[in-house]
Amino acid sequence: MSRSSRIERYSHAARNTARRLRDSVAGESPVAVALVTVMALSLLSGLVGFLLVSSLTAVPLAIAIVAAAVGWIRYQELTAKVLAGTMTVSTLLILVLIAGFILRESIPVLRYESVTVFGTEIPGVRMFIQTRWDAVSAPVRYSMVPLIHGTLLVTLISTAVAAPLGVAAALFLSEIAPQPVRELVKPGIEILAGIPSIVYGFIGFTILNPWAVEQFNLNGGGTYLFVGIVVGLMALPTVVSVAEDALSSVPESMKSGSLAMGTTDWQTMVSITIPAAFSGVSAAVLLGVGRAIGETMAATVMLANTPRLTEPLVNVFYGQATLTSLIASSYGSARGNQLSALFAAGAILFITVLTLSIGSQYIEARMRRKLGGEA
Amino acid sequence: MASATERSLVRGESSGGDLTAASAVGLAGIMFALAMVVLFQQLSLTDTVAGVRLVGILGVGLLALGVSVIGLGVASRYGALSATPRASAGLLSGVVSGLLWAVVGGLAGARVLGLGTVGWLLCAVVVGAGAAGFTVLTREDVGTTVPAGAFTALLGLVVLVTIGPSWEWALGWEQQPASLTASITVPTMTLAGSLVGGWAAAVAYGGFGARGRHLGAYLLVYLNAGTIVGVLLVLVGFTVFKGLPGLFRGFEVGLGVGRQITVEHYLFLPFIDFAPGFSLAFDLPFKWPFVMTGVALLNDVNGVWPAIVGTVWLVIGAVLLAVPLGVGAAIFLTEYAERGRFTQLVEVATNGLWSTPSIVFGLFGAAFLVPRFANQKSILAGTITLGFMLLPLVVITTRESLLAVPDEYRDASAALGVSKWQTIRSVVLPAAIPGVTTGVILGVGRIAGETAPILLTMTGAVALPANQALNVLGSFRFTATPPFVANEALLQATTALPYQLYALITAGVGKSSNIADIDQFRWTTALVLLVVVLSFYAIGIATRYYFRQKLNHE
Repeated sequence: MSRSSRIERYSHAARNTARRLRDSVAGESPVAVALVTVMALSLLSGLVGFLLVSSLTAVPLAIAIVAAAVGWIRYQELTAKVLAGTMTVSTLLILVLIAGFILRESIPVLRYESVTVFGTEIPGVRMFIQTRWDAVSAPVRYSMVPLIHGTLLVTLISTAVAAPLGVAAALFLSEIAPQPVRELVKPGIEILAGIPSIVYGFIGFTILNPWAVEQFNLNGGGTYLFVGIVVGLMALPTVVSVAEDALSSVPESMKSGSLAMGTTDWQTMVSITIPAAFSGVSAAVLLGVGRAIGETMAATVMLANTPRLTEPLVNVFYGQATLTSLIASSYGSARGNQLSALFAAGAILFITVLTLSIGSQYIEARMRRKLGGEA
Repeated sequence: MASATERSLVRGESSGGDLTAASAVGLAGIMFALAMVVLFQQLSLTDTVAGVRLVGILGVGLLALGVSVIGLGVASRYGALSATPRASAGLLSGVVSGLLWAVVGGLAGARVLGLGTVGWLLCAVVVGAGAAGFTVLTREDVGTTVPAGAFTALLGLVVLVTIGPSWEWALGWEQQPASLTASITVPTMTLAGSLVGGWAAAVAYGGFGARGRHLGAYLLVYLNAGTIVGVLLVLVGFTVFKGLPGLFRGFEVGLGVGRQITVEHYLFLPFIDFAPGFSLAFDLPFKWPFVMTGVALLNDVNGVWPAIVGTVWLVIGAVLLAVPLGVGAAIFLTEYAERGRFTQLVEVATNGLWSTPSIVFGLFGAAFLVPRFANQKSILAGTITLGFMLLPLVVITTRESLLAVPDEYRDASAALGVSKWQTIRSVVLPAAIPGVTTGVILGVGRIAGETAPILLTMTGAVALPANQALNVLGSFRFTATPPFVANEALLQATTALPYQLYALITAGVGKSSNIADIDQFRWTTALVLLVVVLSFYAIGIATRYYFRQKLNHE
């Protein structure tokens, strides 16, 4: 594309936006427009002041509040709309800020762990091509590999627990259970999601860890195996609720059509409901995986939090560290590059889970389109 | 499921085959329960029941279950059972039975034949493929029962012959030696055997075919739901059981036993020597040390009052931040914005925020908020971080309930000439309030128990004395320099229930800080945390139930 045409396109888009803005304030009094503009601009400068750690941040914020109050009294219609719009933008802003700050804080360790290949320096590569994490003795290295390995093991085990049990429970709730049973079981599963993760961790630490040591003749403490089982239990409610939504969004007419052919309930489920809701159910599993990856406190309390690979790699009777548990356990004492390495671990978590979330949303949207088209 | 489900028509009289199948299902249930009892260490394998060692009972039970399942299949094959089997048990059963037998084959290859990795893998593949082929290719009754029954019977034989209570298989890993002991292996095998055997027996009880599969599947699905609820009850019940004794230690009810509360109000007028007003002092009619005191040297009973206060302020702050922001954003998305790129982007972002791990929020708070509030961990930073966590949930639930408000409401209001914002304010929002309330309460339950974000953003000392509990309202003062309002309490590091529990677990705090029975203190803290969080959930669920009932009546 030539440069001039791109400029043309941009200016066209800008003209469009301006026109839309003009349309949205058409018919409003100029005072009202001026007022909301002052409000929006002072909020913006308040944000800039806050980002720059300025002590004068309060001034534009106060102006914004006064402008909003005056606008609310005199021109409620427009003020409400602009305020609501600002709030919408702020939700987006939070996500952007999270991404920005976590990436910014992980820059030092990326620089430190850079590798020179053919004369060009590639930052951060050494965090992934060797397995040593040692913040104290030379050579000081911050490898993400042991952490990723720990998270991977825990996630695999917890998915093996949460996916089949969760999908079966969702099937039970949406298709099988009679109304009174459903009314009892559904809140039960919600409460299972409500038990704080630190309580799960506490029970795991005081009951499961000693029990595992006794049952498997272990040398010490936490194991990935039991952390995975506990985390799986915690990811279960997410899988259940999302999968149940997917199953009950299958149109009733499809099921009734099948039942009218003389099939049993179970046959209808296997050959109609589950295939139709399959993508929604897999989205549920993906979200459950996301929950398991991000689960922090149970792992922190139950594991030893020494970032090392296990020997052999499939030895789930170790409990070293996961991405989340290392951040939570060593944040308080970490300084400099080590702190930055923890932020890098956070960045890996954030990107992974965001990808899973977007993926599952895409799958769900596709399924809704498909079912909507067929029904 | 559609209400038009068809129940079975009249079936034949219950026969001997039915009776056998039913008792096999019952036997599987008993084996399942026994295995659970052993797993939870209520009985040991060497205990004797009716003169027989438990390990023997488990082995014989599995063997009997397996043999009767095979018997049912064979009886059906030769027409002794009134059944309607299909030509094949289906691909799903084939895959499952193949996997089960692959495990058996692999273990046999490694343990019995002593093969290397390649050898036992080969063994697993061959045996698994054989079982899968057998299941799929034979008629349903045989294909379902024989592999399942043989699996169960084999487990029983292994328990009886090979594995004694002192059996142990060292896995031979150098750094973290682990071995499978009989006390974990036998109950696990019993669980597997009872599930497989019970399923096959249920299929046989239904006479194979569509109805049999229906019964078998329902057995497993119901069992799964029951187990999940059971786990929940065990978790909550156990915490209550362990924590309750400490919770009410020193609890007294009676006149004048509690703390003295003084309510004073005087009106100081200028130029007059007399201040009209009143002062009222009374003693609380109860004393509840664990909930109402902190940790101090001279306390009879140490408590968690400062942590409770911290949690309350955290929740209040988060709600104050997240609810207006979230409701506003949802209103804009649903009522004002046209569906397009922008709304889609915001939706994806909100869902992304919802699944962002709590520790990432903590890191964000530590990098973004902490340096901006006096450069130290503070309750303000903690509460804003939690508010950010609550925000996506508020947006999602508000949006759902706004979308559920019928368009007729909006049209009717617009037809009266009412402006858009007036319509939203007086028609749409009131109709959406039940959904919003429920969502917010459930969300608050979630963030009240969060530990990771506040660990990084607000927590300082753990076991505080009661007089160091947060006093937010009393600490406001105005200053001459920007930002003109100051509140030291908000900029203080403090504690909260989940963090207190975390610190008690990891640091072993307590031995140094006057807590005598640290284990009891931990369990009781866990119980208080659980009660606080679950009461939010109970209120949320009750609210939803209440509004739904109301909706149904109208």
